[in-house]
Amino acid sequence: MKLKYLVFTFFTVFLFSSFVAEAQKYITKIGTIDIYSKTPLFTIEGSNKKVASILNTETAEVVVSTLVRSFKFHEALVEDHFNENYMESHKFSKAIFKGKITNFSSVDLKKDGIYDIIIEGKLTIHGETNNIKENGSISIKNGEISASTQFSVSLEKYKIEVEKMYKDAIKDDILLKIHFDYKPYIKK
Amino acid sequence: MNKGLKIFLIVVVLGAVVGLSTVYYIFNMPHRNVEDEAPAYTIEANVLFEEYNTDEDATNVKYGNQVLQVTGDIAELSINGYQVSITLNDEMEGVNCSLDSVAIDQNRELLEQLKIGDNITLKGKCDGFDMIMGVVLTRCYIVE
Repeated sequence: MKLKYLVFTFFTVFLFSSFVAEAQKYITKIGTIDIYSKTPLFTIEGSNKKVASILNTETAEVVVSTLVRSFKFHEALVEDHFNENYMESHKFSKAIFKGKITNFSSVDLKKDGIYDIIIEGKLTIHGETNNIKENGSISIKNGEISASTQFSVSLEKYKIEVEKMYKDAIKDDILLKIHFDYKPYIKK
Repeated sequence: MNKGLKIFLIVVVLGAVVGLSTVYYIFNMPHRNVEDEAPAYTIEANVLFEEYNTDEDATNVKYGNQVLQVTGDIAELSINGYQVSITLNDEMEGVNCSLDSVAIDQNRELLEQLKIGDNITLKGKCDGFDMIMGVVLTRCYIVE
């Protein structure tokens, strides 16, 4: 009887500790991407607060995924143009990034701080995939992981066409500001 | 001033006023009013997910950018100021709805009482199907 208890206790403790140690996947579904373009003629500001991401801390792999229609703009007209004329969200509903943090070994998940990271991978927008390599940062605070990056994407590279009459009003390089607050992913 | 010139000037000024106000109106056109728009489809959360999971492209043509009224049990709840997200049916294989800021203001008290497992009906714009979030609805309002 005693032995049975001992074995049981041992297993529970073992299971629990391994479970805690193995929170390798972190997830968020409320990440944000802000997009920004400013020319003397026109400023475009949009925001998407429905961005999902999974970070695997064992393999340093990152997946980011969102729907184009979830981008919101202050002006309804800009939102319509963004969806219909430029991103063609009825044909290409998603934007996806799959890649890796190449210097993830320099991040100490157990130590609070802000770490510079390099992200490399494939970004798919408007049905076009390009390799990207960008800088970002990971911040660890009380064991919680946040990640941020900002970089520009060229409309031309993703075959997003801007009509001639708007060429001066819309920049080719659109600034993206991206932020995630990750939570441990517990599969039920 | 001769009469012809006067008329010409009046026409030009009137034209400019009409033109500018049209541009102003178009540019400041309000967003789609999901709250007052009748839902194109009324559907259970699990049925909606299954339809997308079976044939995403065809389902997206049917529901994409439409206002849907969806009923389901709350599987996940995230309330953070003006960012309220309610996931119906299942955390990963469900319908992920984010509330409109107007709906958040209307339902402050209700939101505090909501808990996992509650049955709820929401109305919102269908953005599509995401591999992590499931079906995504934005600008959502609480129906009941």
